[in-house]
Amino acid sequence: MKAIKAISLLLCLTLIGAGFIAVSKPKKLKFVVPKGWPKPLYDFKSNPLTQEGFELGRKLFYDERLSKDSTISCASCHQQFAAFTTYDHNLSHGFNNSLTTRNAPSLQNLAWQGDFMADGGINHLDLQPLAPMTAPNEMGESIESIIIKLKRDSSYRTMFKAAFGDGTINTQRITKALSQFMLMLVSSNSKYDKVMRGEDSFNLPQRLGYEIFQKKCNSCHTGPMFTDYSFRNNGIPLDKVLNDYGRMKITHDKNDSLKFRVPSLRNVAVTAPYGHDGRFFSLSNVMEHYRNKMTVGPTTDTLFKNRLPLSNFEIGQLTAFLYTLTDTSFLNNPLFAPLGYYTTPSFMHNH
Amino acid sequence: MLPRSKRFSIVLLVIVIMTVTAAWKNREGQSSSLAVTFHHKVGGKDLVLFDETYTNAFNEPFSINKFRYYISNVEFVDKDGKKKILKDFYHLVDEADSASKRIIFNTSGLQQVVSIEFLLGVDSIKNTSGVQTGDLDPMKGMFWTWNSGYVYAKLEGQSDSSHAPLKYFNFDVGGYKPKENAVRKIKLNINIQSLPTRGIVIDVDVSKWFNAVHPIHINQTPICHQPGDLAMQLADNYATMFSIGEVKQ
Repeated sequence: MKAIKAISLLLCLTLIGAGFIAVSKPKKLKFVVPKGWPKPLYDFKSNPLTQEGFELGRKLFYDERLSKDSTISCASCHQQFAAFTTYDHNLSHGFNNSLTTRNAPSLQNLAWQGDFMADGGINHLDLQPLAPMTAPNEMGESIESIIIKLKRDSSYRTMFKAAFGDGTINTQRITKALSQFMLMLVSSNSKYDKVMRGEDSFNLPQRLGYEIFQKKCNSCHTGPMFTDYSFRNNGIPLDKVLNDYGRMKITHDKNDSLKFRVPSLRNVAVTAPYGHDGRFFSLSNVMEHYRNKMTVGPTTDTLFKNRLPLSNFEIGQLTAFLYTLTDTSFLNNPLFAPLGYYTTPSFMHNH
Repeated sequence: MLPRSKRFSIVLLVIVIMTVTAAWKNREGQSSSLAVTFHHKVGGKDLVLFDETYTNAFNEPFSINKFRYYISNVEFVDKDGKKKILKDFYHLVDEADSASKRIIFNTSGLQQVVSIEFLLGVDSIKNTSGVQTGDLDPMKGMFWTWNSGYVYAKLEGQSDSSHAPLKYFNFDVGGYKPKENAVRKIKLNINIQSLPTRGIVIDVDVSKWFNAVHPIHINQTPICHQPGDLAMQLADNYATMFSIGEVKQ
């Protein structure tokens, strides 16, 4: 009898102990700033990274229920193998055969970015997902409905509790979890990075390309982010249907007409098509634009007064250099893929 | 069983304690809270959503479907000049939600309140620090997702003078950046000399949106849905729509 009592007491204690573990604090996730990189802009104190928060964010990122007809997830237009842009699409495809007005940007190194979108209209990473979720030509869903759908799923209730201490599901928690996932998308391990760290070396075309890059591209596509995050008019003429004046829409300043964000060139080899509206299909299209086709207008960047002279030789070497910015450890990191995959699976793209 | 006299005295004691407590509570109640009720009107008429047609100063007929605005950073001053600022207070007043039109403020520590000051809108910090909860939850429909920032006030309806689709006029006002800041400070003096004030009614006259500082014609500008000059003009106008109505003593 005594033995039974002792065993049951032990069992009870174990159960209580297990209970404590179950409600224990989420595991802190370390955010590593690559050597030589600037201080991140994101305020991690307001949204401390945790393993549970990151996993919840990843589940949300890949969940098609965030759209009105459950066919579009964040990952539909932000595919890991394309550095979280859309493979092959110039403009993004939205709910009910709609098109967006812009090419989906890559999602990488977002902790260093202060405002978002090609026009800089969104002032905080946490706010960013609200735009695609609610836009009628993107995911077309209301936040209320998303919350209702998530609340119905017991796995979400468990995950929200694990990440935030209780099962409450609200706008703030959804967006904070998504930010936690997106903040971890750091690409800093390309060949270029390895060369800079002294672990590898460029071959001849790459080295020559790097020298040309520093002379002709670096003032806007500044390392280590390969963008200075500014808004500039690089001579892409207005499309009359899209009627997109870029930064001017946000500032109402005519000096900002046709200015768009300088995109990062990290992983540029896998992020085609290019340009804010995806009008360039390949890197050679882009080079041809810079040297020949550019429209120099009143707000075109002064750096392009005479366009950007590039010889065929230079284009070849530059392209060789740009390929060194591809970071396969980022594109194939299973941490950033949906559970059980090593990158975004193609069936997750319905449009 | 206690003797009768003892039982009686216990009952008496309980009654005395209850009375004293109630009186004390009542005294506290008089000075520690202030009920503010927002009474929405159009000119002299009460505001009724959808069914009522009004006329603005330019003889343009209109009906109203939606009327909402944010009250924040409320500050009270009592007769001795003592101030009480309610930081982190953000409240969405919505004509469609009658409970939202009555706020009970904690004014403990103050004597008779002689003025109330508040921001119509949301300070820039809350416009730039991510996703908020409560009345500031973007889910409330008072947030621009494509050009981050709160909509401070909305007046939406229909008018035969409007050339917008379905004859809508939509005034959505916001903006926190330097040249387009549409936050307005409202100060109202409460003119009474006697007992502690327990409740006030703030009259809110919607007709000021069209004609106060700037003339706003529905047939010229039926739509405002971004920060900028028109939003600032509307804000200048509606900043004059508040006045102290009935004071309950």
